Amino acid sequence: MSRIVDVPAQFDERSFDQFAAQVPAWPPGERLLVDARGVQWASPWALLGLLTAAQAITESGGERPLLAVPQADDVRSYWARSAFFQHAAPLVEFVGKVPRLKAAHHADTLLEITPVRASEDVHGVVGRIQEGAARILTGELGLEPKATMGFAMALSEACQNIIEHAGTGGWVAVQAYHFRRRLGRRVAVIAVSDAGMGFRRSLEATQARRFGDRWRDGTALEAALIQGVSRFRDPGRGQGLAGIKRYLARWQGKLGIRSGTARIAIVPPWDDDVPLAEHLPYFPGTQLQITIPAQDAPAP
Amino acid sequence: MIETIPVAHVLREAVATPYRNLVTRPTGAAVRGRIETVLAASACRTAVLDFSEVDLLDLSCADEVVAKLLRVLSAQLDRFVALRGLHEDLWEAIDAVLARQDLAVVVVRDDGPALLGSVPDDVREAFQGLGATGPTDAAGLAGHLGWPEPRAAAALSALVTLRLASQGPAGTTRLPLA
Repeated sequence: MSRIVDVPAQFDERSFDQFAAQVPAWPPGERLLVDARGVQWASPWALLGLLTAAQAITESGGERPLLAVPQADDVRSYWARSAFFQHAAPLVEFVGKVPRLKAAHHADTLLEITPVRASEDVHGVVGRIQEGAARILTGELGLEPKATMGFAMALSEACQNIIEHAGTGGWVAVQAYHFRRRLGRRVAVIAVSDAGMGFRRSLEATQARRFGDRWRDGTALEAALIQGVSRFRDPGRGQGLAGIKRYLARWQGKLGIRSGTARIAIVPPWDDDVPLAEHLPYFPGTQLQITIPAQDAPAP
Repeated sequence: MIETIPVAHVLREAVATPYRNLVTRPTGAAVRGRIETVLAASACRTAVLDFSEVDLLDLSCADEVVAKLLRVLSAQLDRFVALRGLHEDLWEAIDAVLARQDLAVVVVRDDGPALLGSVPDDVREAFQGLGATGPTDAAGLAGHLGWPEPRAAAALSALVTLRLASQGPAGTTRLPLA
């Protein structure tokens, strides 16, 4: 028996909960058939989420899920160029035609989906995006040249969260695209996802007692993002997310982090997301997305 | 005598990377370890970490290389560390990391020494005053800043305690690289 999990046609961080809600328990007790045939668009967050789901199942010893690939040629092509099929191949069994395209450079792909397992991977990721990031951020999004360094810093800190806290590997992707539905402007997006322990378990040993009965995924995310706490007692820890927040404040960017059953966001004026959503369907690990919009006016 | 340590060179020795990016905690710890080794073998009291060929410094690495080094050296009363070659992004990263931990360091610039990090206002003013007067005592600084002498003496004492200035001859205080 397989459980069919429908992938939303517009698959992004908002519709992700619809996807997660279809799996009642992790690891799933039955084989999943992930039906992506009707997908018309998927954000980097969503693509990494699919990989993370498959990774979580594999690492728990579950049966490799089936993945029915998108029917639309342009969607399949985009997924191939993003290196999705390449990284999904060991984790899922494909149903349908998978393009033979290899991951390829594309003007909108600053960094194809890339595994992050060790600090060496972060060096490679940061080094590879710098030239492209300058082209996109200053050339297309109208940010000042100094925004490029901050972007690379934010990317580095986001990836290090995997290495420091997940307890397993993860993935990163960086893309630029036109965000028609919510913003009507081009954006640069960093997406990071892992199938690890999540914020609540990572912080539990040092923070849970302080929160008592209120300790849950949402409070763990608040502690990390708003209060800057870390699971390490070293006073120099916990600065990565603070640095990302400062960068986003300067460029009106958005940060969203989903972990377990909660999602927290630093919401800029152009977005209508809620700052904290709790009691969401559980999903393994942590997913993080940074969105930097094109500037329509000089930054403050 | 001043020991100048080119940080980009140390990075190339510590990590096999074609980039000039100081990123990740393990990289920062490796770079700091090499810097500590150089300092331990050096007869110089003052060291300058030269960041001029470093392109990118993330906060984790800034904490490992600069903040942790300052904490280690704070126990060594005759040691001073200063930075130079910081472009604006590196300046911001190090400033953020030090400010959060109430640490500070001297930065050598073409237009004179500057302070990076977090110090009380009086200490920052005293540092700037000392840069203008050169080696001086509490009376000299008080005269320059228009302060009462005890206030100047307290600020100079704090500068020495924070490893941002050193005792000079005849009861004077001076900036370590002046």
